[in-house]
Amino acid sequence: MKLQTRYNYVNLATTIVVLLITGIIYYQAISWILTRQKDRDLKVEEDEVFEYVALNHQLPQTFESNDQQITFTEAKPGSIKREFINTEYYKRWDRDKGFKKHKHRSEGEYESGRGLITSVTVGDKYYKILIVVSKVETEDLIRLIFTITIAVILLLLLVLLVTNRFILNRLWKPFYNIMKELRLFNIADTREIPKLGTDIDEFKELNTVVVDMAARAKHDYKDLKIFTENASHELMTPIAVINSKLDTLIQTENFSERQSKLLNDLYSAVSRLNRLNQSLLLLVKIEHRLMHERRQINLRELAEEMTMQFEEIFQGKRLKIACKLNDKEIYASPYLAEVLLSNLISNAIRHNYVGGEVVINLTNESLVVQNTGNETELNEEIIFTRFHKSSGSEGSGLGLTISKQICENFGFSLKYSFEGVYHTFTVGF
Amino acid sequence: MKILIIEDEEGLRESIEEYFSEDGNICETAANYPAALSKISVYRYDCILLDITLPGGSGMDILKNLKAGNHPDGVLIISAKNSLDDRLDGLNLGADDYMVKPFHLSELKARVSAIIRRKTFNGSNLLLFNELNIDLLAKEVKVGQLPVKLTRKEYALLLYFIANKGKVVSKNAIAEHLWGDGIDMANNFDFIYSHIKNLRKKLMEAGCHDYIQAAYGMGYKFTE
Repeated sequence: MKLQTRYNYVNLATTIVVLLITGIIYYQAISWILTRQKDRDLKVEEDEVFEYVALNHQLPQTFESNDQQITFTEAKPGSIKREFINTEYYKRWDRDKGFKKHKHRSEGEYESGRGLITSVTVGDKYYKILIVVSKVETEDLIRLIFTITIAVILLLLLVLLVTNRFILNRLWKPFYNIMKELRLFNIADTREIPKLGTDIDEFKELNTVVVDMAARAKHDYKDLKIFTENASHELMTPIAVINSKLDTLIQTENFSERQSKLLNDLYSAVSRLNRLNQSLLLLVKIEHRLMHERRQINLRELAEEMTMQFEEIFQGKRLKIACKLNDKEIYASPYLAEVLLSNLISNAIRHNYVGGEVVINLTNESLVVQNTGNETELNEEIIFTRFHKSSGSEGSGLGLTISKQICENFGFSLKYSFEGVYHTFTVGF
Repeated sequence: MKILIIEDEEGLRESIEEYFSEDGNICETAANYPAALSKISVYRYDCILLDITLPGGSGMDILKNLKAGNHPDGVLIISAKNSLDDRLDGLNLGADDYMVKPFHLSELKARVSAIIRRKTFNGSNLLLFNELNIDLLAKEVKVGQLPVKLTRKEYALLLYFIANKGKVVSKNAIAEHLWGDGIDMANNFDFIYSHIKNLRKKLMEAGCHDYIQAAYGMGYKFTE
């Protein structure tokens, strides 16, 4: 959810709530004032009745005006409590108007009214007086005021929303610019994040922080690169010495069978150590995207070359190899492409049994390398992690990690699945 | 041939010197930048083995110095840095080859031999060894006048052996030479055996002397 949307939601919700509450208060206030007005009218009427009774010692004629009715009823003395009530006012139609207005043939209709119940004693008789006035005009007034208020507030809200939309978009522009810069940021690149021209303090600060962070990251990255190179140099040199000393040692003739076995073991260990170190360095390089060389590569040709390289090993393990290769050009680092193919194919050989099968399919969409082998499915979660290897594997445990990293570097996907008897690795372009 | 080894790591320098010295070659060494610079300004070599990271300076500067003086010495860079930029820089500056540490001495010897061959024969591409007659350009092998049909790997193997004649070449070194060091061949030495068996058979059938001998189960030796 966008900040702006969230902001608008909150804004809208609070405005509506506040609006409702003010509306209710407003309504109550107006209605209270107007009711008080009516009550005053009723009291005036009551006083008139009292005055009349005091003067004439009899009840006034009951009469009915447009919006006022008075009725007198005899009641038990002292039973009436003076009070104002909300009641209904029965309105008779005017002869002419009424029929035009209403189709039904009733003589009038009820509308809301305000009444005053009071009492008067005339002679020895006790009367209940009910004075009712129509409230319909009052309510109309309230409704009108209320509608106008609501309309004004709604209009205000609409104007606010629209201006918010435009103003916020403009206000957030520096933020999106910084985001764009961050997205383009490449740690191995020399391009700097530019200073932003904005007056808003928050964005200025954000920009400064981002620029600082980028500079720091680049600095750390450079340090790491230097460290990696040094580590490589420091490790490679002793390995090179061991290797050369072994090469020299075997020139000194007359070895027993036991000695030559030991020497062979040493050779294998050194070569494994070397490969491990190379793999680690390669991994670091790929992860830091140090392999910048790009070229047009025909994967079919590369795969054919690879299978030729592995020819003896296929024959030695009596593996049946089925290749279905279409032309597929990619634009990538040739060295990494070679490592990727080599890793996938050598895995397919290494984890195979004598007389097994290797299937390589290259289409425009994917490169699929399948092999027979152990008949249990591998766990896709862990096979791509560093130094994970099956028991008895001679590999470094980095092959699939490197393959995965290369695929990520190329923008490809690398997936494992177990199909029938085949362990299947799929590179999706 | 005359070779200069510029390498600061003593163990490595000594091994290379020892490996190259037999066989009638003259080897000189330099352990740091000033020593290397003074040697190349006075003497000429068939091939210079040049380490990039040296105490007192960079091997690249020595290379620049050589090329600035228009000296024809062959240069093989041996570096611990397997970085493409370094490799390209080195080759652009006029180095003949670039090797990454660690390497087998036999591989180094083969590369140095190739450089010297290119330098000294000046266009001639025939390699003669007793009755063996190898056309390096056409990649054809003859025993006397009789052509021998070798596969790509057998041919590579033969050249490798000739460059390292008189030396025991380990199976590891052979495997890395034939398949590259990216491929784990640890348990696949049988293939080397079958390649060598085929090579010997083809050469001997053509009437060639059997020069290749197995050496204590560790490797092979090409002897006169």
